[in-house]
Amino acid sequence: MDISFNLIIVQIFNGIVLGMIYVILAMGLTIVWGMMDIINFSHGFFYTIGAYFAYSVVSLTGNFWLALVCVPPCTALIGICLERLLLRKLYKTNILYQILMTFGIALIGRELILLTYGPVGKSFYTPRILEGTFFLGSLFFPRYRVFVLALAVLITVAMYLFIEKTKFGSIIRAGTEDKEMVSSLGINISIVFLLTFGLAMALAGLSGVLAAPMRGINPFMDVSILGICFAVVIIGGMGSFTGAILGGLLAGIAQSVVGIFWPSASAIIIFIMMILIILIRPRGLLGVRD
Amino acid sequence: MKNILKDNIGFIGLVITFSVLPLVLSYEALAIEVAIFSLAVIAFDLLLGYTGMMIFCQASFFGAATYVTGLSVIHLNASLFTAIFLGVGFAGILALTLGFFATMRKGSYSVLLTLAFSEMIFFIAYQWKSVTGGDDGLVGIVRPDLEILGLLKISLDTELRFYMLVLFFFLLSFFIIKRITESPFGKVLVGIRENESRAEAIGYNTRIFKLISFVICGLFLGLAGSLYALFMNFAHISNVAFDTSASIVMMEIIGGIGTLFGPILGALLVVLVSEKASALWARWPLIIGLTFIFFVLFARGGIWGLITSYVEKRRKSKK
Repeated sequence: MDISFNLIIVQIFNGIVLGMIYVILAMGLTIVWGMMDIINFSHGFFYTIGAYFAYSVVSLTGNFWLALVCVPPCTALIGICLERLLLRKLYKTNILYQILMTFGIALIGRELILLTYGPVGKSFYTPRILEGTFFLGSLFFPRYRVFVLALAVLITVAMYLFIEKTKFGSIIRAGTEDKEMVSSLGINISIVFLLTFGLAMALAGLSGVLAAPMRGINPFMDVSILGICFAVVIIGGMGSFTGAILGGLLAGIAQSVVGIFWPSASAIIIFIMMILIILIRPRGLLGVRD
Repeated sequence: MKNILKDNIGFIGLVITFSVLPLVLSYEALAIEVAIFSLAVIAFDLLLGYTGMMIFCQASFFGAATYVTGLSVIHLNASLFTAIFLGVGFAGILALTLGFFATMRKGSYSVLLTLAFSEMIFFIAYQWKSVTGGDDGLVGIVRPDLEILGLLKISLDTELRFYMLVLFFFLLSFFIIKRITESPFGKVLVGIRENESRAEAIGYNTRIFKLISFVICGLFLGLAGSLYALFMNFAHISNVAFDTSASIVMMEIIGGIGTLFGPILGALLVVLVSEKASALWARWPLIIGLTFIFFVLFARGGIWGLITSYVEKRRKSKK
């Protein structure tokens, strides 16, 4: 099999773009886990609903930029409402019920999507201004992917600065280490939970919008993206922000590069990496706690 | 004598219920489905209800067994018990492997791990078309005859006969799982559920106990899967998909965690309601989902919990 060097470069680029989508998703998952100690099974649903909302906005107004700006606040709002109405009632109970609640939300959410949009997937066209490709010597990069990469890097850097440099970020970091201590210092932990959940859902919605033109939309994509996200946070290390970035990029690149040589294994490679990481370094590459 | 009767009243009730089930329901296939999912959900109840371990890879054991049983019938021309044995054995090995990873860490991390593994197994089954048939599934799993020591040979071509077989396996499994929960081993499991660190402090190697419970759960889920393949004559990718795990979890929660009878009630209810409702409205899972949320929020004992507290209340008011 003749595989040109160029193809590998382009696939690595595609892998990085895909990886950045995973990064944005995994950041949300990991801060929720760090803060609230729960695995959010509805994370994939928020990704899906983000993509569908974007689809609606684009088909109504024809404006992709509007979707990009409007959808994350919408998903954040849904997240905040669900946290207030449903999740919050369960904080005092066994963690199992919180997990089950997010799982229930995901199931109902999928049914509502099916009810509203139907079971057939939708194709989502790349916005016109981002069609076409950039050429770099003999290499070519789709314009839309370059845009996604740039935006995702921007978001990630912003999130990093937010977590590391702001007061709210330091509360999140402290909460990941020791929740009781944070609340005993007089910080209103319930507001922090609310905002953390909302932020994570905004990120999930945003990644849904960004991924839609590349990967299409269907109501059943929530579970597969959820499985990948879980593998990414295990690879990177639970609760670690930089771990989420590293894990997401590694997963995306591995998936794309393996796709050249053995397409049918590209979905499985992430999980194989996950198993190797668990065996070699159980806490993940940059995990904060065991 | 009276005591024996009193102790086993639940089991007797179960035998009676499942004996009349095919007569009451509109067709026997429905009764088979109820029995198979009851078996699957009590297997899970041992793990969640008695050991306190949540998983999301029920479908992996269930589905893997449907494939192995199907393949052994198609390619090896296996007899009934061999086919079931192979399916169950494979599910057991798979459970041992996944359990090894899932018991490494506690809490929500282990839940997340089981979902990731379940997705991996789904993708393997999906991509490995030459073996599993991919999206088209594995067709032509003909039920072998029931042969007992070469003496007896019964064809299982009618649904009623097959129901008898499934019922036998279900009641046997129920009996075994019930015995496990009442044994000293089962008491340790409950101890782990209530307070794992304390069980550890007393000197129990909780990981081994959890792993054994995990494997037992996998074996019985495998049994359910093997029977399901023979029942459907077909093994499909949806059996290893997340949705199968999800419905087992819903039956468990709606029925009542850690009660064995509750989950069976949950299975009965979910199977029957979905049978009736799917004809009326394609989006009926929405109602099941809302019911599920209701139980998670307000009635964590499930239906069984509601029934027992009601009975308790009446008994008290009589006094």
